[in-house]
Amino acid sequence: MNFTHQTTLLAATTALLAVLAGCAAKGTGSYVVLLRDPDGNAGKVIVQTPQGEQVLTEVFKGAALDGKREPFFVMQDQLQRDFGAALAATAPLPDLSQKPMRFGGGTNLTNESASDLENTVRAIVASVRAGRSLDISIIGHADTLPPAPGDTNQALGLRRADAVKALLEKQMLSAGLRASEIPPIATASHGDKNPFNKANPADGINRRVEITIR
Amino acid sequence: MKRRFNFRQALAGLILTTLPLFSQAQTEPIGYVKTVTGEAWVTNAGERVRAQRGTPILLGSQLRTQAGASLGVSFKDNTLMSFGPDTELTVDEYLYEPADEQLKLSTRLMRGTLNYIAGVIAKLKPDAVSVRTPLGVIGVRGTQFLVKAEDEQ
Repeated sequence: MNFTHQTTLLAATTALLAVLAGCAAKGTGSYVVLLRDPDGNAGKVIVQTPQGEQVLTEVFKGAALDGKREPFFVMQDQLQRDFGAALAATAPLPDLSQKPMRFGGGTNLTNESASDLENTVRAIVASVRAGRSLDISIIGHADTLPPAPGDTNQALGLRRADAVKALLEKQMLSAGLRASEIPPIATASHGDKNPFNKANPADGINRRVEITIR
Repeated sequence: MKRRFNFRQALAGLILTTLPLFSQAQTEPIGYVKTVTGEAWVTNAGERVRAQRGTPILLGSQLRTQAGASLGVSFKDNTLMSFGPDTELTVDEYLYEPADEQLKLSTRLMRGTLNYIAGVIAKLKPDAVSVRTPLGVIGVRGTQFLVKAEDEQ
């Protein structure tokens, strides 16, 4: 290819890009774009517009919120221009990797879980020391075996979550965190409604507490 | 004057006595600010605080970024939302009680840009999640999406 050809090609490409950019800028307005989530799943976005409903099922497809045009593909450069700042501000993904705490019965951790909890404490302390602003969720679960008279599996799940919270706080202090550095911890119970072993809700493996670090 | 059972008074009394329960529930954080650049604000019941990492988000919170600012928050059900500049969003409904099948996350994006990564609420009950904008209402089935809402004159 000689120089003249290259120049012509360059000019043509530039003109094409300008036209594309013009289209994008003109047609942008208010819109929504479907992306793949961090787990790699692309779900669905449904938009109720003044002109009726539009459904997005393809990644990088967009829909105008006024409903005045058919769904369209959104180019990378437009995404970056419109959403670069919002994407860059994404909070760290929640850490769901902590081992669930298991219970022999009541609110006593198994030996294995007691040592897993020490690892969880180390992970939290390291993150706090690294300057992260964390918050922690502790969710207690029960199996479907009937609780003691007057007790409920919902209440039992919450006592387990609260017991793990108390242990976490105590161990974080022993590990050298000041009280003011301990992240906020929220506890909740799912009772026996969210079993780990769905096939056998009475299975002891369902007696557990799950810890999420955000 | 004969005193008769007044349904309205009884109802008002009931609301007054149960109100503290609700307001207590509402002061419970539903999420926290995780990232901030520039000037961003969180307003709860008319009280405005400058957003910092760790600032709690409550039911009814209004989140706002100024020009050149951005903000990232995470919610109790692991929903992540982050915002570009000149953005305003209000959290109208947040219910995360899977044991009672109480699940709801409704927000209103008045203007600006939103990056939304759906969390557990959207997984357990897709119909429970919505983002209202000045034009259309967005519903979601477990995914990530971006929204840009321009001011409607």
